[in-house]
Amino acid sequence: MAEIAVGIDLGTSNTCVALMRGGEVAVLPNAFGERTSASVVHFRQDGSVEVGNSAKAKVIHAPAQTVSSAKRLIGRYHFSEEVKKAQALYAYEIVETPNHSVRIEVREEEFSLPEVSAMVLREMKQIAERHTGEKVTRAVITVPAYFNDNQRQATKDAGRIAGLEVLRILNEPTAAALAYGFGMGLNQRVAIYDLGGGTFDISVLEIGKDIFEVLATSGDTFLGGDDFDDRLMDLLADQFVGDFGINPRNDPYAHEKLKLAAENAKKALSLDEETLVVIEEVLKNDAGEILGLERTITRDEFAQLTQDLIMRTFKVCDEALQQSGLTVRDLDGVILVGGPTRLPMIREAVAGYFQQAPRVDVDPDEVVAMGAAIHAAALVGEAQDSMLLDVTPLDLRIGVAGGLAEPVIERNTPVPIEQTRTFTTVQDHQESVQIRVYQGDHRRVEDNAMLGEFEFSGFEKGLRADVKIDVTFEIDADGIVNVTASDPATGEAASTRISLSSGLGEEQIEHLIQEDVAGRVQTGSTTRDPSTSFAASTARDFSGARDPSDTTPGLFGSGIEDLSLPALDLSASSLEEASALALLDDETLIRLSQEADAIGEDMTLETSLGSETTASDLFETAGRDLQSSHSKDVKEED
Amino acid sequence: MPTGIDPLEVAALARIMEELDYYELLAVEPTATTAEIRRAYHASSRNFHPDANRHLGQDLRDHCGRIAKRVTEAYCVLRDTRRRRSYDARRGQTGGLRIQLAEARSSHIEQRRAEIGGATPQGRQFHAKAEAEAKAGNLAGAIQHLRMALTLEPANTGFKARIDAWKRSEQTRT
Repeated sequence: MAEIAVGIDLGTSNTCVALMRGGEVAVLPNAFGERTSASVVHFRQDGSVEVGNSAKAKVIHAPAQTVSSAKRLIGRYHFSEEVKKAQALYAYEIVETPNHSVRIEVREEEFSLPEVSAMVLREMKQIAERHTGEKVTRAVITVPAYFNDNQRQATKDAGRIAGLEVLRILNEPTAAALAYGFGMGLNQRVAIYDLGGGTFDISVLEIGKDIFEVLATSGDTFLGGDDFDDRLMDLLADQFVGDFGINPRNDPYAHEKLKLAAENAKKALSLDEETLVVIEEVLKNDAGEILGLERTITRDEFAQLTQDLIMRTFKVCDEALQQSGLTVRDLDGVILVGGPTRLPMIREAVAGYFQQAPRVDVDPDEVVAMGAAIHAAALVGEAQDSMLLDVTPLDLRIGVAGGLAEPVIERNTPVPIEQTRTFTTVQDHQESVQIRVYQGDHRRVEDNAMLGEFEFSGFEKGLRADVKIDVTFEIDADGIVNVTASDPATGEAASTRISLSSGLGEEQIEHLIQEDVAGRVQTGSTTRDPSTSFAASTARDFSGARDPSDTTPGLFGSGIEDLSLPALDLSASSLEEASALALLDDETLIRLSQEADAIGEDMTLETSLGSETTASDLFETAGRDLQSSHSKDVKEED
Repeated sequence: MPTGIDPLEVAALARIMEELDYYELLAVEPTATTAEIRRAYHASSRNFHPDANRHLGQDLRDHCGRIAKRVTEAYCVLRDTRRRRSYDARRGQTGGLRIQLAEARSSHIEQRRAEIGGATPQGRQFHAKAEAEAKAGNLAGAIQHLRMALTLEPANTGFKARIDAWKRSEQTRT
C-alpha cells in the first residue's frame, strides 16, 4: 500500500490537517480535540517551542515571544508595506537581514519565516502521525492563489524544514473547489470566495467531469479576517483613550488583550445582533489603578466599520470575473471559504454581489484542508484522480532600462508553462549580463515584487548584435518560477532558484533539515547552537555573483543592471551600463533565425536520411496510442 | 492511478516535439474549434501534466513535463483568435512552429464572453433569459430560450455546450 500523504491548510490564523483514506476525507483533530490549531508559535524560556491554541493564549503574557500571522510575512522583503504594517501590529521583533529578507528575533535568536512556519507544519505532521500510527512524510500544502513565487517557494521550504516532502503547492480556492466538486459529476462554472485570516482570493473555475480548470484568479494578500478584528480593536482602543487619556496600543500586553477581545466580539457578532465586550483590566496606570473597558457593539456598527473592506473584496471579484470572461449571471455556484465568511454581513454582501445564495455545506475552516487531502491521496495513488489545471496569478516580468518591467508570461496563463526570449548585450564585448525577474501587474519595476537576479557570463563575447542569449522563464505546476540563461551557441547555461526573499539558500535549508529546527516542537529541549544560525550570514548564494564595485544601495537600482529595450538602447544611462542586456532588434532576430534555419535544414536532412519514419508519423502513433490506452483506463475505472 | 503511457512513445514524442506545430502537438485539425482545442488540452493534460505522472521514473517525468509545458503554450495560442491568427499566418514558414505568448496580446477574454453570453444583442438577451430560467430551476424553459439564441448565432459552440449540459442535468433529475 502506498505511503499516506496528508493535506495541510497552512492559514494566517489557523492551520488544519486532513487525510483521505478508503475514499473518506477526514479532518484530523489535535490532542485537545480541536479541528484547527492556531498558527501561533510560542518560544519558551528553555528554548523549546509550543504551537497551536495554547501558544496563542501565551500572547497576552509574552507577546514578544509569541509569533502569530507569520504567513503575512513569509516570502516578503523587509522594506515591503506589509512588513511595516506587521511591525505596527505585532509585539515580536521583526529584523532585517543584509539581503533584505525578514527574520523574527525571539530570546536573542533569529528565525527565518520558513523556520517559524515549519514549526506549525511539524505540529500538523505530529497530529497526523498520532492519528494514523504511521510516519507521515508527504503532504500537499495550500497557499493563497495570489501568492507570488517568493511566498510559494518559502512555503515549500517550510514544508521541507518540517521534514515533509511537499508533493504539491496547491492554491486554496482550487483545493476548496475540489472538496466541493469531488465525485459529484459537476459540470459547472463556480466562483470561490476565499476570505482567510490574512488574505483574500477569488478564483473562477469551470468544472467538468474530472477536470477542474481555473479560468482566472485574483486576490489581495493583505486583506483578511485580521483586518476586521483590527477595526474592532481600534474601536475599543479609541474608547479607552477617550475614557482615560491613555493609549493602550503602546502597551504590548494591553494591545494583545484588546486584540483578543476584538476577535471574540467578531465571533459573537456572527451569532448575535449585539455583544458586550468587558475587559476588567486593560492596564494599570502609573498610580497602579486598574483600568478596564466596557463597550456594546452592534452588528450594524460592525458592518459600517468594515464596509470598505468588503467592498475591496468585490473590486477583486470584478477583476477575476472580467479576466475569466464571465459575468455573475454565468455562475452556477459561489462557494465560501475561510472563517470570516461565517459573518452574516459578509454572506449577505456576497449573496447580493453574486445575485445568488452562496454555498456553505462544507465547513469554511476545513474545506481547503479537505481538498488538499483529496489531491494528496490522488497524487500517491490512493484515490481517483481529478486533473487540476491552474493558472499563474501574476504577470511574470523582466526588468528593462527606464525602470520598466517587460511582461513575459501574463497572469491567468495556465501552468506549467515555459517561454524563451532572446536577448543581446547593450555593449560590444560585454563580459556579463545581469538578469532581474519580477512578478506583478505593474509597468514599473518598483511596483512589482522582485523575485531575484542573477549574472550570466557564459556566452560567446562579441559585437553586441552578434551576441545571442536565450532566457527561459518557467512556471511549474506549483506556481514556482525558474529562470535560466543560456547561449544556444556554446550550450553554456546558468540558472538559479530565483526566490530571494525566502532568505534561505539551498545549503541553508539542507542544514536546517539536518539540524531539525522544527523538531523543537517535539522534543522541547534542543537548543540551536547560535554559531550555526544563518541569520548572520551575509547574503544568498547568487547574490554573491553581484559585482562588488556595485554600490547600488537598494534592490531596485537605477537600472544599472537592467535589460534594455531596443528603442532605449541608445539612452545615455544604458550605454554606461557595465552588464546590461538588450532585447534583440527585429533585423538581428531575422538574420539569426535565418542562420539557424540553415543549420536546422542540414540537420533535418541528416536525420531524415537515417530514418524511414517521419516526425508526424511518429506523433500519430504516439498520440493515438496514448489516447486510446487512456480511454481504456477510464472505462475500467467506471 | 494507472495511466496508459508507454515510455518509448513519450520519449519519442518529447524528441520530435520541436518539429511539431501546435495543431499536431494537440492532435487537432487546423480547422478545430476553440471547444475542440480545449478538449484536446484537457486530454493531453491527463497524460502529461506533472500530477498525472508522479509514479513514473525521473526521465519519463522530465519528458512529460516538457510536453505538458508545450501543450499549455499551444492551448494559450490556439484558444485565442488574435494569437491564433498571428500564428496561422506564420505557420507554413520556416521556424514558424512556435510563437511568443507576449507577441500577440490575449483576446480570449472578449472571445469567451461572446461565446458564453452571445455575440449579438438579441442572442445576449435570449441567453440572459435562459440563465435566469435555469437559476429558477426551470431547465426546460432555459433550454428553449437558449435554442432561440442559437438560431440567431448558429455557430455559437458555447450555447450548444450549455444546452447539452442542461439536457444532461434534466435527465439525471428525472
